[in-house]
Amino acid sequence: MKKCGCSLGKALLKLCLKLFGICFAALAVLFTIFFFDLDGKLLYYVVEPFLKKHYDDMERKDTLKDLYDVDKYPKREF
Amino acid sequence: MKDLKHLIFFEDLLQEANNELVRKGKEEGLRAIGYTCYFMPEVLLDLPGCFSVRLRAPRCTSPDIATYYLSSRVCHYARSLMERALEGGYNFLDAQMATETCTATCRFQEHLQQKHLDTVQDMQIIQNPDFFVSFCDVPFKNTEISYEHFRKQLRAHVLDELTAHFGIDTSDEAILKAVEQHNEVCRLINEIGDYRKLDNPTITGYEFAVIQLCSLTCPKHLILPYLRETAEELKTREPDDKKQFRCKAVLCGSENDDPDFIKLIESCGALVVCDRYCYGAVESRVPIEIKEGQDPLDAIARHYLLTSNCPRFMPQDEMRGRKKRLAELCKEYHADGLIVASNKFCEYWSYERVIDTVVMRRDYGIPVCSIEKEYINAASGQLRTRFQAFVESVELKQIKEDKVDV
Amino acid sequence: MFDKKKVKKALRDFWYGKPHGERRLGDILEDKTGLYKHREWRGVKDTSYYFWNIWCYNYFQMVMDIMKNGGPIVFAKGLWRYRWVGQTYLPVLHWFDRGLQGLRGEAMKASAWHYRGMVATTIRQFQRMFVCDAKINGGKVNDEHEKTIAINETVWGGIFYPWDGKLVSVPMEMIPYFVTCHVNSHTVLNYIDAVQSIGLPGDPCPMCQAESGLFVLDDMPDYAKAMVTCNEACDASVATSILQDWFFDKPLFALPMPMQFDDPLVKENCMKEIEQCWRFIEQQYGVPFSWDKLKEKLEKQNELQRFEWEKWDVASHTKNYPINGVAQALYRIYQTQYGDWEIWHEVDKKVRKIMEKCVSKNIDTFPKTRHRVIAWSCAPLYYSNWCTWAYNCWGLNVVINMDSLMFDMTIRTDTYDHALEDMAQYHMWAPMRRMAVGGMNHIFELWENMEKFNCDMVAMYDQLQCKGMQGVHGLFEDEFRRRNIHAFWLPHALPDSRTVSRAEIRNAINDYMTTVMHEEPLDPSLLDFDDSMTW
Repeated sequence: MKKCGCSLGKALLKLCLKLFGICFAALAVLFTIFFFDLDGKLLYYVVEPFLKKHYDDMERKDTLKDLYDVDKYPKREF
Repeated sequence: MKDLKHLIFFEDLLQEANNELVRKGKEEGLRAIGYTCYFMPEVLLDLPGCFSVRLRAPRCTSPDIATYYLSSRVCHYARSLMERALEGGYNFLDAQMATETCTATCRFQEHLQQKHLDTVQDMQIIQNPDFFVSFCDVPFKNTEISYEHFRKQLRAHVLDELTAHFGIDTSDEAILKAVEQHNEVCRLINEIGDYRKLDNPTITGYEFAVIQLCSLTCPKHLILPYLRETAEELKTREPDDKKQFRCKAVLCGSENDDPDFIKLIESCGALVVCDRYCYGAVESRVPIEIKEGQDPLDAIARHYLLTSNCPRFMPQDEMRGRKKRLAELCKEYHADGLIVASNKFCEYWSYERVIDTVVMRRDYGIPVCSIEKEYINAASGQLRTRFQAFVESVELKQIKEDKVDV
Repeated sequence: MFDKKKVKKALRDFWYGKPHGERRLGDILEDKTGLYKHREWRGVKDTSYYFWNIWCYNYFQMVMDIMKNGGPIVFAKGLWRYRWVGQTYLPVLHWFDRGLQGLRGEAMKASAWHYRGMVATTIRQFQRMFVCDAKINGGKVNDEHEKTIAINETVWGGIFYPWDGKLVSVPMEMIPYFVTCHVNSHTVLNYIDAVQSIGLPGDPCPMCQAESGLFVLDDMPDYAKAMVTCNEACDASVATSILQDWFFDKPLFALPMPMQFDDPLVKENCMKEIEQCWRFIEQQYGVPFSWDKLKEKLEKQNELQRFEWEKWDVASHTKNYPINGVAQALYRIYQTQYGDWEIWHEVDKKVRKIMEKCVSKNIDTFPKTRHRVIAWSCAPLYYSNWCTWAYNCWGLNVVINMDSLMFDMTIRTDTYDHALEDMAQYHMWAPMRRMAVGGMNHIFELWENMEKFNCDMVAMYDQLQCKGMQGVHGLFEDEFRRRNIHAFWLPHALPDSRTVSRAEIRNAINDYMTTVMHEEPLDPSLLDFDDSMTW
């Protein structure tokens, strides 16, 4: 029983350390991204140009062809 | 065509705001009341005891001091008025009946206003101890509540002010008298203007603009005899055998009180047969109708909100209906095309011009010439080229249509 | 050689961050792009706070906001369809950085909360637009679409309180245009160019141009059944409504803001206009007006106003006000214009706590203040964070600004008539209407507020295309001279960073501070740097 409990405790400790390690690593990665403005750089140099190209290439309706129907909406009195 | 008898006299009257007839009116002891916008009913400023003067600043080409106050990015019209005021050109005014209907002229009129405030020193521009400014709130719509509101505004900020300052009689009888005189001016101007609807008109757009402007800037009772005589003269005026124009156009757009601009258009071959712009006659010379039993002030408030085609109006049916009315004017005056001209920095007309340029051509098949101009058009070369190109395009269109008909 | 002093100093700088005056914040910026070579080191405590409570927290909350308001698929569809989402809102944390640069301690915390409020409201609005949008939903008009009112961004959201919970009002331009300029000033240029490409001259107000351009480029979601527009306080805005009517093509109600708002007759008419607007909503949506809802929401809004007054009190009389110029300006105009919403209360609660701490501990929140500045007229949208720069570079602390002061009132809720009367007043004091293009009497309220907020300098925004403000330029010059007031003009063209660049704005201030004030910069690295291509 004692031995069993000990190994469980060790496993738990290991898991905790592992989780802590993962969290710490994740935090370290996030902090690196944060500190060196990697999110900004990714967005500025990769995402925005990509999306900009997409929007520039997008087929758009020629709004000047939209009807301006003079009789569509009557005079309103309340 | 034979020259109109009074044309030179009319032209002289337009050389300055304080013209011969204005001086005469003042000598008679009448109060001169200035205004800038159609939405200030001139008829109320023509009540017995006073007369209206729609402000102009002819020959003002370099408004330097005004540019210091209003900056170079505000419409030249407002700056020119300000410059003329600073020069003392409006010292004859006893009051300014102001509206905030466009930002630039509003700011100009605010400068004239004695402020009696601690917050800003009064510039005391108008050197006339009696002078005052009264602002009126003009609705953006023509609904029942707007009519009511406008009527109350006119009572409080025009009529009551005139009575308080100058003892002007603002009774219904006095208003009816002013309306009667106003309607006679309208009748005569319309009679004169209707000759533009002829196949070969017996009056040019320039001549008409000069006459119309005189009717806006001179005491009515003093200009009326000249209008009557001119109307009579036109009954027998013979047109030139050969048409002196290549096409007819409706001119619409923002503020324009420069007959030389119309002369420029006409020199390029487009006869201006209709004037749908600020200072034009299309709205301002519609007679005021007062129904039996109707309060005259109510009729006037309604009239000005109902007749206006100003892009300042915001109800949906109005925004759209303006296009239709413009097309109807083209038809009524047998115009071949439309010239839409907006003053530089006029925001209302910058947009309206864009929309008209697209919609009138596309939905009504009317050729459109879209122009941005200055208050005084000193550099006319570019404009001339534009108008010549427009005339040619109208002619080409006509040739194509004739071919299709054949 | 081991220099003990240097090490000690380095350790101190590491632990506390470099003191103001030694920071050289300009050196951490990349040339042209304005990206950071590395983000600012504010000391262990403040950097940790910034990293965890601002950067991580806000990224996380943004995801949560999207999940709560329509979900990621709706967001992805909107992002793919509309330029103003994808190009603008992804770099939102950079917007935080620019606004909060150089801040420390409580000032950094309180200002960041203001940003959080704005981000949450923005996401809520664009997600609502996308949920309702027929354009990204295969042309289908869904139930939400039929329960949404499109409003002009300067129509006060409070007008629609009577339908709270039943209908949703979403400003047309606030998210696709107005907020974008602050976050990423590149996007809006497309819209300005679009409207000019159909023939509009370049001189009307560029804000209105951009608003029109959205429609010209077909970049406005079809998200509502009807629209309520207004004159948005200037001529160009009236004219913009026409283009919007053409391209949006929905039943439209115009709810103008009169200028002569001191006149009781005008207020009376405005009250009737508001009532007509309510009838329009009832007719269009078939949902009855609820006085109870209106009252409840107005009372909640009044709470926000009361707290704002407390803030102003602290800002005027102490050195403990923890909100910087840009956060103050943007949050306040956003909140007052949008109307009551839960997030504002949450933010105010957090800020109250911070502010109370500052007051009780007498924390000097902007210790390097050389001049207390009031900013007047309309601000450059693409460089709303100029005041952050001005504090870091010159010690110019923008305490308050004109936009913050516009809606200076609570609304009575004891009777319907009182509420309506006050609502009319609030509506008439619309952005830019109360002062900038309001009557001349009101634009000169500057002096009174300068005194009230204990300011010794004026930052006078010079919106080159605002006819109302240009029309009082000379009088301001005269008054500054007459009153012997230190004032610098800050030229700009609202959203259009091409007309006057950020560097030109900074140069105008630099020139004033050196040639007129004869002062030395606190951070010389910020005097001249190239951020011409920044967001």
